[in-house]
Amino acid sequence: MKIGSLTLPRWVRRVVQIGFLILFLWMVLATWAPADRLPGTWLKGFFLADPLLLVLTGIAARDVPLLLFWSLITVVVTVLLGRIFCGWICPLGTVHSLAGWAFDKVQSRAKRRDTYTGWQKAKYYLLVAGLAMALLGGHWISIFDPLVLLYRTAATAIYPAFQWAVEQGAHSVFQADPHVGPMEVGPVRIGPFHLTSLSEPVYQFFRDHVFSIPKQAFLGAGVVWLVFVLMVAANGYRRRFWCRYLCPLGALLGLLARWPLLRRVVHQEGCTQCGVCTTACHGASAAAAGQGWRPSECLMCLNCSGVCIRQSCTFRLVSLPWKKEPRLEPVGLSRRGLLWSALGGLAALAAMRATPQGRAKDYYHPRLIRPPGAGPEPEFLARCTGCGMCMKVCPTGGLQPAITEAGLEGIFTPRLVPLIGHCDYNCTACGHVCPTEAIRPLSLEEKHQIKIGLAAFDPTRCIPYVYGRNCIVCEEHCPVPDKAIYCVEQQIQLRNGQSRTVLMPRVDPDKCIGCGVCEHVCPLDDQPGVRVLSTNETRHERHQPIVPEVPGQEDLPYG
Amino acid sequence: MAEGLNRREFLVCSAAGVGTLSLASPGLGSLLESQAQMAIARWTGPVPASLSEEQKVAAKLTEQVMEALGGMRRFVKPGAVVWIKPNIAWDRTREQAANTNPDVVATLVRLCLDAGAKRVKVGDNPCDLAQKTYVVSGIAEAAKKAGAEVVYLDRERFREVNIKGERLKAIPIYPEIMEADLVINVPIAKHHRLATATLCMKNYMGVVEKRQLFHQDIPTSLADITRFMRPQLCLLDCTRIMLANGPKGGRLEDVEAKWTLAAGTDIVALDAFGAEMLRRKPAEIGSIKKAVEVGLGTMDYRSLKPKELALS
Repeated sequence: MKIGSLTLPRWVRRVVQIGFLILFLWMVLATWAPADRLPGTWLKGFFLADPLLLVLTGIAARDVPLLLFWSLITVVVTVLLGRIFCGWICPLGTVHSLAGWAFDKVQSRAKRRDTYTGWQKAKYYLLVAGLAMALLGGHWISIFDPLVLLYRTAATAIYPAFQWAVEQGAHSVFQADPHVGPMEVGPVRIGPFHLTSLSEPVYQFFRDHVFSIPKQAFLGAGVVWLVFVLMVAANGYRRRFWCRYLCPLGALLGLLARWPLLRRVVHQEGCTQCGVCTTACHGASAAAAGQGWRPSECLMCLNCSGVCIRQSCTFRLVSLPWKKEPRLEPVGLSRRGLLWSALGGLAALAAMRATPQGRAKDYYHPRLIRPPGAGPEPEFLARCTGCGMCMKVCPTGGLQPAITEAGLEGIFTPRLVPLIGHCDYNCTACGHVCPTEAIRPLSLEEKHQIKIGLAAFDPTRCIPYVYGRNCIVCEEHCPVPDKAIYCVEQQIQLRNGQSRTVLMPRVDPDKCIGCGVCEHVCPLDDQPGVRVLSTNETRHERHQPIVPEVPGQEDLPYG
Repeated sequence: MAEGLNRREFLVCSAAGVGTLSLASPGLGSLLESQAQMAIARWTGPVPASLSEEQKVAAKLTEQVMEALGGMRRFVKPGAVVWIKPNIAWDRTREQAANTNPDVVATLVRLCLDAGAKRVKVGDNPCDLAQKTYVVSGIAEAAKKAGAEVVYLDRERFREVNIKGERLKAIPIYPEIMEADLVINVPIAKHHRLATATLCMKNYMGVVEKRQLFHQDIPTSLADITRFMRPQLCLLDCTRIMLANGPKGGRLEDVEAKWTLAAGTDIVALDAFGAEMLRRKPAEIGSIKKAVEVGLGTMDYRSLKPKELALS
C-alpha cells in the first residue's frame, strides 16, 4: 500500500478489517437485556454509521431518528477518500475478503477475473429500484444492507448454532460423566481428572459470560444460513462478488465516491501492463492493467500500489475534487437504465402488495404479534430493516423473525412467538436497541399501557375446561398487577358421579396486554390451552373488535 | 460451643406485651431452651421508614428468631454446605412483596457462615427470568455481599429423581440442592389463587422443573415434595405479606407490612401460622390438611409452644 510517499504494509489493512469484524461480532454478543438498566445505545453503533439506512428510512418513513445522522460522517469520509468503509471497515466486506483469501488458496489464480465489467453496474440499478420502492414506503432493500445482513446472520444463525454446539457438547459429557457428589459415576477418568473437569468450566464460562439466554434459537435460521453460504460461496466465482455486484450500501457509497480526493495514479512510462495490480484488486475497479480506474468501484484496499514492483502505481491526494487529473472513469449509468430500474422497483413493490399481508389496513394476521412500540404495519415496515437486534436482545427469546406471516415485504421482521418466549412485563429492551426506531423506545409506564394482542382460552384444549382438573398456571404468571386472567368457580360432575369445583380461567380483554406469558407457561406445550392473537392490538385502531366495559354498567342485560 | 451459648441473648416477651426483657442466659438452662421447635419474632418498635431502617429491623428479626430457636449452630455443622432457598420467583421489587426479603436472606447467610458453614449457596428456580428476578428482588446482591454463592439454576442440570410420592414419581430436581448438608427454606407469605396461600411447603416448587403439573393436585404434590426434602429448618418471611393477586402481585395495595418472622422445624406449623397471617384458617388450605393427614407436622402450631418475641 502506498499513499504518496507513505508506504504501509498490507497487514495494516488486514488488522483494521479483522479488528472491525471482531468488534462487530462482539457487539452482537453484547446485545442483551440487563435486569437493572437499558442496553446501551452504542450497541447499534455500526448501524448508525450506515448512510443507506438514513436515506431509506428518510424516504420511506419520512422521519429519521436523529442518531442515524451520525452516518453523515461516513458520507463525508466517502466523498473525500472513496469507499474506505467498504475496504477497511465493513465487517461483511471483511468476511468476503477472508473468503476470497481462502478461495485463493485452493483455486488457480489464472482463472480469476479482476477487471471491471459492466455487470458491476447492477448494484446501482438495484439501489435505484430500492429507492423507488422507498418512495412508496417500501423499506425492503434494507434487508440487504450489508451490516443488516451480517447482523442477522451472526445473531440469528451463527450464534445459535455455536451455542447449540457448546451446550449440547457439555450436556453430553455431563450426562456421561456427571461427576457431582454422590451421583458420581465417572467412567471416563484420567488420574484425578474427569472429562467434566474440562468441559464444565468451558461451558460455564460461555453460559455465564457469553450466552445471554440458554438454548436461543430462531425460526427460519435455515434461510439466513442459505443466503449467507451462497453469498460466501460466490467469492469462488468472483472475489468479493457481493461487494462488486450487489451491495446496496456499496452502490450508495460508490455514487458518493465519484470524485474522491484520494486517487490512483499510474505512471504510464513505468507500467509494463503486467496486470499484477488487477490480480490483487478487491473491487475490480480498473478496466485493464494499469488503466481505466473507477473510484466508484475501488474499495481503497490499496493492494495495487503495494504489489506494483515498478512503483508505477500509487495513490495520492489531490487538492480539489473537480481536478481533471488523474483521470477518473465515470460510474456509467444510463438514463434509460435508471428509469427502468425505478419502474422495476415499483413493480416489485406492487407485487409484494398483491398479498393480503401487504395490505395491512384490512387484513391482520392473527399470529403477527409485533413488539410493543411498533407502529401500524405500514409504518412499521417503512422502518424495520430486519436486522435482528431486537431478537438478539429479547430476554425470553420470544422475538422471532417472521418468515411468511408478514408477507415477503415483512420477511425477517420481528414477531412475538409466545410458545418460544413471552414479552417480559418489565422489559423495553427491543425499542431501545432498534436502530431505525421501527420499535419506539418506550418508558416502562408507556409499555404497560400497550396491548400487543389478546389472550383467548381454547375450551377444547385448556385443562380445566377439557379434563376437569385445576391448573391456572396462566393466572399465576399473568403479570398485570390486578390480573388480566381471572377465575370462575364451576361445579363439574366427574365420571363417577361425584362433583368437584374447578377454577375456570377467563380473560379480561380490558386488562390483557397480550404479553403471551399465559401461552408460554401453559403445561400443554404442543398446542396450549390459551393463545395470544393480534386482536385488540393498540397499534391498529381498526383491529380492536372487543368493546371495553363501561365501569359501573357491567351488570347490564344484553340488548 | 459454650462460648457461643454465653453470647446468646434470649428475649422473653411478657404476657402483657408491655415490653421485652433481655437476659444473658446461663449455660445449662438455655441448652434445654434451645430445642424449641418454633419461634416467632415481631417488631413492635416504630415502623421502619427508610431502607436502612428496614434492613436493621429485618436483620434483627432474623438474628433473634434464630437465637430463640437455639442458634444457627444447632442446624449448621462446621464445614457444612448450606443451600438457602428463598422465594426469588418474580420480577418484582421488595416493596411489592412477591419475593423473600433480601435482608432476611443476607442475615441468614451471615449466620450460617458465622456458625462455621463451609459454603452457603443461595438459589431458586424462578417463574420469571432468573437474570431479572435475582437482580430486581435485591436478593442476589444482598446474598453475595453477605458472602454467599448466588447460584443460577441451570435447566440442563436438573436430574430426574424418583421421589416415590403419592402423586409425584420421577421429577427433575436440582442436584446441588439435594447434595447440600442443610437446606434452609425461607419463603414469603403470599396469597395464591389456586393454593389459597403460598408458604413454606409451596416454596419447594423452586427446587424442581415441570412444576406446572403440580397445579393439578397441589396438596398431594406439595406433601410429596416436602416429604422428599425432609425440612430441617424453615423461616417464614412475613416482613411484608401479599394478601391478594398473588403469587406475582405488583400492586402495593395488596401488600401489608407485618415485620414478623417465624422460624421452626415443623413446616406444617409454620404454614399454619402463615395462613393465619394471611387471615385464613389453616384447615382451609389443602396442602396443610394433606400434610397433617400424612404426618408431616401439626396444624396447631400453638401446641408447639412457640417462643414469641416482641422486638423494638
